[in-house]
Amino acid sequence: MLRLGKELMIFDGGMGSELSKKGLFGNPEELNVTHPEEVKEIHRSYSCADFITTNTFGLNGIKYVGKYGLRELALAAVENARAAGKKVFFDVGPTGSMLAPLGSLSFDEAYSAFAEIADITKDCVDGYIAETFSDLYELKACVLALKEHANKPVFATMTFDARGRTLTGATPEIAVEVLEGLGVDALGANCSLGPKEMLGVAKRILACSGVPVLLQPNRGLPVLKGGKTEYELSADEFAFYAEKFAEMGASIIGGCCGTAPEFIEKLCALRGLQVKRKQISRPTAVTSGTRIVEFCGVKVCGERLNPTGKPKLKEALIAQNYDEIIGEAVRQKEAGADILDINVGLPQLNEPEVMETVCRKVSEYADLPLQIDSSNPAAIERAVRRYNGIPLINSVNGEEIVMAKVFPIAKKYGAVVLGLTMDGRGVPPTALERFEIAKKIIERAADYGIERRKIIIDTLVLTASAEQKLVKETLEGLRLVKSLGVKTALGVSNVSFGLPNRPLLNKTFLAAALACGLDMPIMNPLDAEMTATLKAFGVLSGTDENAEKYIAEYKDFSPASSVAAAVKKTENGSAPSATLRDCILLGLKEKAEELTRKELESNEPMSVVNGVLIPALDEAGKLYDEGKLFLPQLVAAAQAAKTAFKAVSHKLPKQGVSRGTVVLATVKGDVHDIGKNIVKVVAESYGYNVVDLGKDVPPEKVAEAYLKHKPLAVGLSALMTTTVESMEKTIMALRAAGCGRGIFVGGAVLSREIAEQIGADFYTKDALEFVKTLDSFASR
Amino acid sequence: MNISELKPRIYGYLGFKGAVASPQTDALIAECLTELDEQNEFRVTYKIFTERPAFLNKPPYESFLKGASAVVIEVASLGATADARIKYLSVANAAKAVVFDACASAFLEACADEWETRFGETRTYRFCPGYGGSEVYDLKYVFELLQPEKVGVTLSESYYMLPSKTVAGIIGIGISARKSCENCFMLPRCEYRKEGARCYDSEKN
Repeated sequence: MLRLGKELMIFDGGMGSELSKKGLFGNPEELNVTHPEEVKEIHRSYSCADFITTNTFGLNGIKYVGKYGLRELALAAVENARAAGKKVFFDVGPTGSMLAPLGSLSFDEAYSAFAEIADITKDCVDGYIAETFSDLYELKACVLALKEHANKPVFATMTFDARGRTLTGATPEIAVEVLEGLGVDALGANCSLGPKEMLGVAKRILACSGVPVLLQPNRGLPVLKGGKTEYELSADEFAFYAEKFAEMGASIIGGCCGTAPEFIEKLCALRGLQVKRKQISRPTAVTSGTRIVEFCGVKVCGERLNPTGKPKLKEALIAQNYDEIIGEAVRQKEAGADILDINVGLPQLNEPEVMETVCRKVSEYADLPLQIDSSNPAAIERAVRRYNGIPLINSVNGEEIVMAKVFPIAKKYGAVVLGLTMDGRGVPPTALERFEIAKKIIERAADYGIERRKIIIDTLVLTASAEQKLVKETLEGLRLVKSLGVKTALGVSNVSFGLPNRPLLNKTFLAAALACGLDMPIMNPLDAEMTATLKAFGVLSGTDENAEKYIAEYKDFSPASSVAAAVKKTENGSAPSATLRDCILLGLKEKAEELTRKELESNEPMSVVNGVLIPALDEAGKLYDEGKLFLPQLVAAAQAAKTAFKAVSHKLPKQGVSRGTVVLATVKGDVHDIGKNIVKVVAESYGYNVVDLGKDVPPEKVAEAYLKHKPLAVGLSALMTTTVESMEKTIMALRAAGCGRGIFVGGAVLSREIAEQIGADFYTKDALEFVKTLDSFASR
Repeated sequence: MNISELKPRIYGYLGFKGAVASPQTDALIAECLTELDEQNEFRVTYKIFTERPAFLNKPPYESFLKGASAVVIEVASLGATADARIKYLSVANAAKAVVFDACASAFLEACADEWETRFGETRTYRFCPGYGGSEVYDLKYVFELLQPEKVGVTLSESYYMLPSKTVAGIIGIGISARKSCENCFMLPRCEYRKEGARCYDSEKN
């Protein structure tokens, strides 16, 4: 392994195609036990390579179903591979199940399956190759399991399409950030593409990877020729591209599907070439599973997911009402946030558990990288470990004890860390003292092996009302810290606490901080004045080339039009004289909210509901039934009505306008939820309080929710013939919990007859029928 | 691919059934299709079989593939980003989420249609296990043969494929077949047939 990254090394080639040549089909892993000699023969045919891969691609507790034990197959596979007399790397493939949130396998379940493999093999292999992963999140679980359960080198490769995306949407750049952050010994790409098609992906990986790169393409794509399927690429052509990979800087090359011993023999002629490693210079970067945010130019961190001073969010966190939190995340993304801060610091909450859940829920809906904001190391570790990407940790400060707790977490998972220029004595008054703390933080991080680009320094904003003289120290500190070659952050709006016209101070301070080199304002992205300042700064600093973005935003600007008016322009199409009814029928959310407020000035809340909102919705429903209004318009009308209901609720803080609670779920085994989501929007628009349990919900969870909320009705959805049985089980669980009436079912495969057979009380064919039936059921 | 040709199919998915959509809906459709076209995450895993896999030696596959010189089995997907986008839109703009969902389905079908033209004019349409009296459980054989897990497509215990914008298909080469409603499990309660329409383009298929 000493040669790794210095001299070109060679991996072996395809196993499946060689087994077929020998007439061996069926479960490949079992052949290790049933046909060991044939498997050994294949391994021996690759003995010119430096690394031999075990015949264990599908061997893990989730994917393998058969009569043998994992241990028996794994150990036999290692013994077979040893026949080649070279380094044996244990092949670990994906579980074949989709991880949550798209599928239902949890991160911890995937981790356990891989840990089991590591436990069995740790003493008899030379290393592990986790390969052909298309989900970076699953690969993270795998790498962590292998590293934590076996002290051996880990190589990790993913499968990309020719445009450079994995099926779950990760790019080569994101994969490199995450895998390198996890400390793999080599990373790269395999399978899916032939060597020619892999050139683009290889180039992108090599451009950013700081660790050795491993490339194992397929032998091109199979073609139909004279009635037979064939791979056309020759061993010479394969070697031609391999040489290109070597020239580009690859450290290890091998072959995947369709490659045979003669291909690897050709590759071996390249062995020993000096690896052409380039000096890689990368910017600070954080990622989600599908989006990378590189700190080139100013990046906005949205600060609104923090319960401090936000009673509604606080209430939502305590009640585990994640809709409110998700809504806030989505609003910040829509307003242009690049990163979202997540803070759940409330004394009555189990912070580690809630932090993990909130991060997971927010990531499910918004693809922005997250900033995990906590002073509790247990909460930080739990969230960072299960985070799909490279998060930002907020924060450490100059106190040794804090750094000793947080830096090991950051190092282990490759996270970026925000360092506050304060210590046990508080925030030092002068810029120079804060600069010294920044230096100490960067030095200590280096002691833990954390690169400088993984540190962002916050020189701390104090309020101008209490510490007026120190405002300029913050800015001066920022300027000094920039000389250390790190990125900077500030919680900008702290400056204006206690003073009138806060927006004016905020935007002025923001402009001054940007001029001093601020990279990441932590702010409210929905504050139109501050975001406008950022756009202006883009022009003045030259990052918005030719002022393109600025011009696109303000080309229609006239002095009379305020920022508020600009927001309204999204609602063109509504005549100035439009009534609340019109706005609901046309699905105009903002306008509907505005007119509801007006109505409430002169009318009682309930008369607005019963006199305007419900009749408008009924009208929309009638038009839908008559085929004059269609699904998207119905949904838009429901959304507008929901916004209006929200405005009315503000007038009735205690009892609200809820017409009753409805629990909704897509049953276990089914992940189709668009139909259920439409029912949710429409039911909410009629003023029902909806508890949405999501998709793939086990019967006992639905029963539990029934007992907790005692709802007016329970709505169950299923789209597949295969999940009707699961719906029946859910109904049985509900009956056992005492739910005597009010079970509604719906979904593409259901009919009135099936609903009756499985014991439901009502079948409704669509969202509208659901609400109509619910209305009459509620009034009984 | 001319994405404007997808509109009738999208209207179908959205329940318009021949009616004229509103300008707002049309604008949303255009927006979603542009997004899908720019992203274009379409990918296919396939194998060509000159010797017919055993699971196809039973009705209705037998008669569907009668006389075929080869069989192509494919799994085509738009990837997980489409699911993520629908999820995001369900909060940011629920009406657009509904439209995006329909557009993504139509886009996937059209991408697969276009991809299949490489197998020549004389071929059947894409027959998916679950159609025409066949069992959805046969998907497990498709997965055994193709191992689409290698590109990230998975089959759950209840036999749905993930990402959700994924189709599986069996195509006979050297013969022709047209789609029909015969044996469709939805036939007794088909919303299209109630209106005298079909869920597929009967001119083309």
